[in-house]
Amino acid sequence: MVQTVIMPKLGQTVEESTVVKWHKREGEPVKKGEILFEIETDKAVLEIESFFEGTLLKIVVAEGQTVPVSVPVAFIGQPGDPIPEVKPISRPAPSAETASTPAAAVPNVRQPLSTVTPSTSIASPASGVRRPAQRGINLALAPRRAGSDIPPPPPVRKIVSPRARRLIRECVISADPIPGTGPGGRVVEKDVQAYLEAKNYAVLKITPGAKNLARKNGIDLLAVPLTASRERITVETIQQAIAEKPKTMSKMRQVIAQRLTASFTTTPHFYVTVSVDMTDLLEWRKIMKDQNKPFTVTDFILKAVALALVEFPELNSSTDGHATRWHSRVHLGMAVSIAEGLVVPVIRDANDLSIAELHECTAGLALKARDGKLTPDEMTGSTFTVSNMGMLDVEHFTAIINPGESAILAVASTIPTPVVRDGKIEVRAIMKITLSSDHRLVDGACAARFVNRVKSMLEDLELWKSMI
Amino acid sequence: MEKYDLIVIGSGPGGYPAAIRAAHLGASVAIVEKESLGGTCLNWGCIPTKTLIASAALYWHMRHAQALEVSVEKAAFDYAAMIQRKNQVVAKLRGGIAQLLKANGVTVFEGTASFMTRNRLTIQRSGKESVALETARIIIATGSSAVLPDFLPKAASVVESRAFLDRADLPARLIVLGGGVIGCELACMAAQLGAQVTIVEILEDILVMLDADLRADARRYMETQLKIRILTGKPLEQIKAGAQGVKGQVAGEPVEAELLLAAVGRRPVTEQLALDKAGLKPNTKGYIEVNAACQTKAAGIYAIGDVNGGPQLAHAATAQGLLAAEHAVGPRQTLRAQVVPSCIFTAPEIATVGLSEQEAKQQNRSVKTGKFHFAALGKAMASGETNGFVKWIVDADTDQLLGAAAIGAHATELIATAVTAVQAELTAAEFARTIQAHPTLSEAWMEAAHAVHGQCIHAPPRKHVERKA
Repeated sequence: MVQTVIMPKLGQTVEESTVVKWHKREGEPVKKGEILFEIETDKAVLEIESFFEGTLLKIVVAEGQTVPVSVPVAFIGQPGDPIPEVKPISRPAPSAETASTPAAAVPNVRQPLSTVTPSTSIASPASGVRRPAQRGINLALAPRRAGSDIPPPPPVRKIVSPRARRLIRECVISADPIPGTGPGGRVVEKDVQAYLEAKNYAVLKITPGAKNLARKNGIDLLAVPLTASRERITVETIQQAIAEKPKTMSKMRQVIAQRLTASFTTTPHFYVTVSVDMTDLLEWRKIMKDQNKPFTVTDFILKAVALALVEFPELNSSTDGHATRWHSRVHLGMAVSIAEGLVVPVIRDANDLSIAELHECTAGLALKARDGKLTPDEMTGSTFTVSNMGMLDVEHFTAIINPGESAILAVASTIPTPVVRDGKIEVRAIMKITLSSDHRLVDGACAARFVNRVKSMLEDLELWKSMI
Repeated sequence: MEKYDLIVIGSGPGGYPAAIRAAHLGASVAIVEKESLGGTCLNWGCIPTKTLIASAALYWHMRHAQALEVSVEKAAFDYAAMIQRKNQVVAKLRGGIAQLLKANGVTVFEGTASFMTRNRLTIQRSGKESVALETARIIIATGSSAVLPDFLPKAASVVESRAFLDRADLPARLIVLGGGVIGCELACMAAQLGAQVTIVEILEDILVMLDADLRADARRYMETQLKIRILTGKPLEQIKAGAQGVKGQVAGEPVEAELLLAAVGRRPVTEQLALDKAGLKPNTKGYIEVNAACQTKAAGIYAIGDVNGGPQLAHAATAQGLLAAEHAVGPRQTLRAQVVPSCIFTAPEIATVGLSEQEAKQQNRSVKTGKFHFAALGKAMASGETNGFVKWIVDADTDQLLGAAAIGAHATELIATAVTAVQAELTAAEFARTIQAHPTLSEAWMEAAHAVHGQCIHAPPRKHVERKA
């Protein structure tokens, strides 16, 4: 019996996913529990295991295609089984409409106020539309897709005669700059020959390996910068040209780009920095560690922030410029850097967690993040974010507010610093924290009181002792 | 104080060509040699081993001449005389280098050089007073020396390769510790002359830098034809050595012989240079680090050959020497050829160039190979040299020839064609269109290039081709 493999729904807000890679080819046997394919949502790349046993009869959704959840992506059965016919996947809703009423199109419980909520702003350029894979060729066109407002210039369709096309292919050059003199501007063979002569193509010494590599990768040999020696175009020369070609960003990177651009251009950011004296807390942390309670600096910061947010509702809110919405619960986002980019796993109800629970929760999420195992639900719904670059040796930095939130706290490294205490200079472990706030919602005085509240908690050793 | 444009320290296959090239370019050049002109390659390496291997191979062929219906009544050899012949060959070549240096106006200093400053050297000479020299540029070409590891007992029956080549007698039984290139070459040589040879290698296989198919072929021949006992994956333990012989155990198995040859690696020679006076320091492995033009971190000082940690091959040192000399005194060139062939003079011979199959796969390339066995070649059958094969390692995406390997008779000569093809970045299709003379062993390269695309004429297709009705 033929079984249908469908695009799984991996989170409440996930409406569509892209097949990144098939681990099995058509005709290959598949075991239950084996990894069948990889998908990319707007938040993560995940491996999907097969629920069925048999032979992969047909792949319906090719690598690089984006489809809505629950549509068939492949069929598994026995060789010779009749394969059901699949209609080409049609778009579920016109994308223009989706873009104009995003909140309606994508119900989002936690961030409904902002008209440009992250998931919808991301979903619109790609929503449910079957998208052909970007197969290497002509990546210069890629920026068109990236949700820019300016419509791309209409593509100029160059008409090239078959003989001219053959010569162009043989010489591994681009047809675009060749002026056509044939009827209707058609590029004919003699145009190509004249162009080659004008560009002195004959003097290029190209190794056969380099020529094949250039052809495979759509590199125009006349556009390759020659090396200093100018002797030959070698494989190395072409590899350099390939490395310099614009490449489509991963979906995750595109999402990051869109979200941060949207936030930074629509939210009036302002920044308030304070220095936190971490000396006592760090010493106490060492003692705790010896008692087998290995808390991290992040644990203390998250706890202090969670407590302070309860006192400062403005900072646990969001606005669209017309209305504000207070989030009654504190869900802390924790920015984690991974190889592919940045993810923000969410600690739910962080204010209700003991510091030990918080430690366990952050450690678990960070591990999952680095292994690429976070589910989309674990990455949505934060109401405030902490970005800790303490381990990266920075004195001070500012962060961009996560869309749908009103502030973000940037935590820098703890550095031994000479400070004045009781009229004397002392070396203390100083950590600078910088709050970026949405000025539509948060005023300077409020931001100042908030960071100072976090600071005073981190410097209050008695508070921490009482919590253990 | 005598002044030069360039002083080369060491007259091995890297040093003396560098000195001559610099002299060609009009520089005043001195070269310092603490022992013998020609360095390890000429005196204790490439040349002496090949001289002995030539005698051993001839003796072996005479004893197996019956395969070609030739009978040899009494094949015999005189090992002491073979060593003498080796010494004559070496002496003649050494004389040739002295003449070349003289003809090019290069001053030779016999002694040990050490740095006084970045541009001054002092030369310690035996029987003469030391001399100080000043120079604008220096090329360090001091090479490497064989290692006798500390765990081996000090005894007359335990030698490294250099001492081995100076012995006038061949032991009846020989233990070779280390299954690398030097160990395997000398093991094959001794085995061809009738010695009972045991190779002990702690790694999983001998000649581990080679692809598995080459290793298997070489090992099979060495074990079945040359009767070499090869013990791999285990260390040699409980070693006891006296004047008369060596005993040890490999995983409980006893090994015994009259002589143990240690061929476990070489270390760079830098001790007497006083590098710190020039502001240089060897890295943790003892090598002097250099850039693509063989420049060290100290201005005006270059390092070439074994001492800089590159491939330990004479021809690599020569190429670097020429490059460094040109960079030091002439028009600056910084293009170092990356395609370096490597030849192993075992029985059977093995030669490689460019990437191996395992290296190409480690680079995450999609790789195709094209292989052709000599057994299917007319010339190979005619001359009774049917053992072995050649193969191309090809980029599956672009068809570029990334590397090549040959194993069998004349493999070390056959590789030359492949070197040119790989350096020129030819594709398999391109090479397949060349015409190779018939009947020769070189035809194998062309056939192997056809094989890359499954279009071999003289091998059955992998899939049976059905004729269209």
